[in-house]
Amino acid sequence: MNKLILKDVGKTFNGENSRKVEALRNVDLTASTGEFISIIGPTGCGKTTLLRLIAGLEPLNAGQIMLDEQAVEGINRACTLVFQQFSLFPWFNVIRNVTFALEMRGVEKSQRQRLAMYFLKLVGLEDAAKAKPYELSGGMQQRVSIARALAYDPDILLMDEPFGALDEKTRQKLQDVLIDLWRDKRKTILFVTHNIDEAIYLADRIIVMAPDPGHVTDNISINLSRPRNRLSAEFTELHIRIRNMLEIPD
Amino acid sequence: MKNLLRTSQSFLLPLLFLAVWEFWAVRLDNPALVPRVEVVLSVLVHPFSELIGTGTLAWNTAVSLSRVIFGFSIAVILCVPLGLWMGTSRTAFRLVNPLVELFRPLCPIAWIPFAMAFFGVMRVPQLFGVRYSNTILDSVQVGMVFIIFWGGLFPILLNTIYGVTGVRSLWLETARILGASRRQIFRKVILPAAMPAIMTGLRVGLGISWMVIIAAEMLPGSDSGIGYLIMYSYELAEMQILVASMVVIGLIGLVLNKGLQLISTRVSGWQALER
Repeated sequence: MNKLILKDVGKTFNGENSRKVEALRNVDLTASTGEFISIIGPTGCGKTTLLRLIAGLEPLNAGQIMLDEQAVEGINRACTLVFQQFSLFPWFNVIRNVTFALEMRGVEKSQRQRLAMYFLKLVGLEDAAKAKPYELSGGMQQRVSIARALAYDPDILLMDEPFGALDEKTRQKLQDVLIDLWRDKRKTILFVTHNIDEAIYLADRIIVMAPDPGHVTDNISINLSRPRNRLSAEFTELHIRIRNMLEIPD
Repeated sequence: MKNLLRTSQSFLLPLLFLAVWEFWAVRLDNPALVPRVEVVLSVLVHPFSELIGTGTLAWNTAVSLSRVIFGFSIAVILCVPLGLWMGTSRTAFRLVNPLVELFRPLCPIAWIPFAMAFFGVMRVPQLFGVRYSNTILDSVQVGMVFIIFWGGLFPILLNTIYGVTGVRSLWLETARILGASRRQIFRKVILPAAMPAIMTGLRVGLGISWMVIIAAEMLPGSDSGIGYLIMYSYELAEMQILVASMVVIGLIGLVLNKGLQLISTRVSGWQALER
């Protein structure tokens, strides 16, 4: 159920002076239900484009995206995306941002406040319900974004470097929050990052990508038990392996 | 103490200005040229006394204000929706924009002779088939309303378009991936996101309308309003009325702007606080 399959996916953008920019070529990917996949790669390898294609924000040029054996076209109800940039609506307060997602998915008005509080509690922000987004720190804003995405109740949660703009300590804290939520809700998560540590800490499986044009180079299963120790020998070994795959010099 | 000092700083230059004026008026000793401050004040503190056979200061102010409010309201009612439409639909933009570009350089004051010739002395109640309504609308000429409309049109229209086209794509995409329909995106994202720019348009438009009405009332053929009062007191060399009228124009302009600013922080305060 809700198996996500990408077959031979390609995407070309029309650049300036009718120059074509090939962002993705021949991408194959399968995500089983409840799987946590990290997608890692250098800037320009098309990882963000890949998420945007799955979310339906951009049309495909080649290949197919299948969800439950059905081809996906355009925005689909099964996915939602958490952006790297702080994307809360500044004219709404925190809880209204969350009820927005509930409203869009057709939850009855009388239920929205209660449900929104539930999702805010999940990310530990029930006390900030009445606050305005600009009154919150970046980490808190991203937590609200996650609560909003969860309130939409997608089967597949696409996350585009959601913790990219945060400091290391906040980032690690939110990684744990995310792992707890994922275990609780059994969502499929595709998590784009360029932080090797983050990828290994979170995922069941890591997809490694390379640019020019964007394509998948490696597919690594992470069989470490959770909670994971970032300083363990196995973790470090994986870290080094992926560093080498990404050709990062010592 | 610190607050008191800060407040007094704001009053320093206006008081100095009054002092220089008063000094100048006493030195010159020619009330037909520079009236003394207390003479001007005595006009201002009796707004309901009859002036040189043209009605009271309060009445003429009310006439000017009702002209502006009437014309400006029409501009808002027509231009905000038009701007929203032009901002969201490329077809609408291509359709209407050439006309906008063509008329934009035309100063609203350039329309005054045309409006006078075209609408004559027709007044607003006559539009509804009533000769005299015994309200202040009897003093609101259709031509004046037309000119005010032109004064408000472009600031409102252009700022609304700018507000709509400037909505961050991140917000639009966020709404889309949460399954919002076009209608929902318009009502819950585009409208609130464009509101700060729309409010700026209203403020600029109202400011221009207020300037334009004074100019229109100063022209021949006008029979009431604060601009008319200025011209008439000039002809009778009643400088204290002229200056008092100018003070009223300034004060009303200030109040109009502050009023819209208050509304603006209520409906789009998020923008000022976001940074």
